[in-house]
Amino acid sequence: MDYWLAALRIGLGFELLLYGITSRADWLQMFTLHPGSFVTRDLTEALVTLGAALVPRVSWLISAGEFIGLSEATILWIVWSGLMATGLCLVAGIFCRSAAIAAWFLHLSAIKSSALLSYGVDNFTSIGLFYLMLSPLPDHLALDSRWRKWPTKNAQLQSFWRRILQLHLCVIYFFSGLTKLLGSGWWNGESLWRALTRPPFDMVPSELLIHGKYLFIPLGLGICLLETSYPVFIWPRRTRLIWLVGVIGMHGAIAVLMGLYLFGFIMAVLNIAAFGTDFFRLRDSKAI
Amino acid sequence: MRFQRAYLIGFALHFILLITVAFRDLFAVLADGSTYLPAALEPRWRVLEDATFTVLGQRLPPNDPMRETIAFYLHAAGIEAGYGYFAPNVPYSYKLVFQLTYPNGTTEYELPSVGTPETGMRLPTLLDFIAANRYEPLRELILKMLAYSVWQHHRDASKIRAVFGAVITPSIAGFKRGDEATYAVVCAYDFGFSKTTQPRP
Repeated sequence: MDYWLAALRIGLGFELLLYGITSRADWLQMFTLHPGSFVTRDLTEALVTLGAALVPRVSWLISAGEFIGLSEATILWIVWSGLMATGLCLVAGIFCRSAAIAAWFLHLSAIKSSALLSYGVDNFTSIGLFYLMLSPLPDHLALDSRWRKWPTKNAQLQSFWRRILQLHLCVIYFFSGLTKLLGSGWWNGESLWRALTRPPFDMVPSELLIHGKYLFIPLGLGICLLETSYPVFIWPRRTRLIWLVGVIGMHGAIAVLMGLYLFGFIMAVLNIAAFGTDFFRLRDSKAI
Repeated sequence: MRFQRAYLIGFALHFILLITVAFRDLFAVLADGSTYLPAALEPRWRVLEDATFTVLGQRLPPNDPMRETIAFYLHAAGIEAGYGYFAPNVPYSYKLVFQLTYPNGTTEYELPSVGTPETGMRLPTLLDFIAANRYEPLRELILKMLAYSVWQHHRDASKIRAVFGAVITPSIAGFKRGDEATYAVVCAYDFGFSKTTQPRP
């Protein structure tokens, strides 16, 4: 079944909504050309397009809007509203394919035009939206299938796209873990300590963290091993749940201890979509 | 059958690019000498990193269609960057402080202000970029834009000094000894704005 696709669609829809809500207060300042923004859009876009001129950006939409007489601010709010609307459509499963394509385009344009204010969460959302856009939508839980009676696509294609997402996550964690293992800081606990005390991620006071000083070495090494061995232990059914819970727990801890809630959420969504929905399906079939 | 073959070719190309980007960043880390591997190997890592540039089309002329297509695909799929977050070691964080001087000689200090904590989590990317950037005019321009955004709320200030520095947090042992975080200045610029000033690139 295509529970994985439903999880990916709904999760990414919520991620877009959260992105919109949390960036609303700074939206104009992130993208405007007017002085007074953090970094003006034209400078950011010039830096991004140095290596990739074809990458979508907000300026394209603004140029198109200005052609029909709309102001920059109006177009920026249309882009923001578009992101929110596509997020809602994805959550509900209405016009799934069109919403996924529009969400990918708008999100990619937004993060490239504010590249100097982007971080990991934006990349992972991009990855998710790219796969979602190409996946065989709608899934059977989407309103498109239930209400509009659009047929779901064949199972072979479902498996193909899910496998790509699974392999991508394996690559992500393997390289992330391997690169950490190459630094001495992850062997002696200093990197974990520094990650948690580094502004602005220092959510927990150092005075409190120091009480857990004996945990920094095992936890730091544990993170490295969990990530590096992910491509091995996430596949067997016996170890899958342990690794999945471990990785989602790690992202949950990053969210709570470092304030990276959106990052924690998107990683949980990608992991659950790739490897987690089997467990729910198993519970369903037992219940039946 | 034809569709299956097309999907498989697409899959293979996608993963070649994905793995190549991941290796590119891994080799870059190794070549930088920030790992505990022997320094003698660094030139070899650099050669391997160069090889990944070739695979990714980054050795082609800037406007080459193949280079542009690959670059577009990498960005579109979200795979243009590797996955070495907080690795091999967690870097120092950076801080930007604005010293505002008023005509009567009083001074005030401000930090870059954002509307939500989530945007605050995005600022380190900008500060890391400023730190990593060795091109002085670009660094000065970005700091001037940020200073101008602060000046918007303090239009009486006659001068703004932007002080950019690294926050060096104490190690576990240092913290136990009572060491505190220190601020090492990387660069500082003085800017003056009048009501007609518009800092543009």
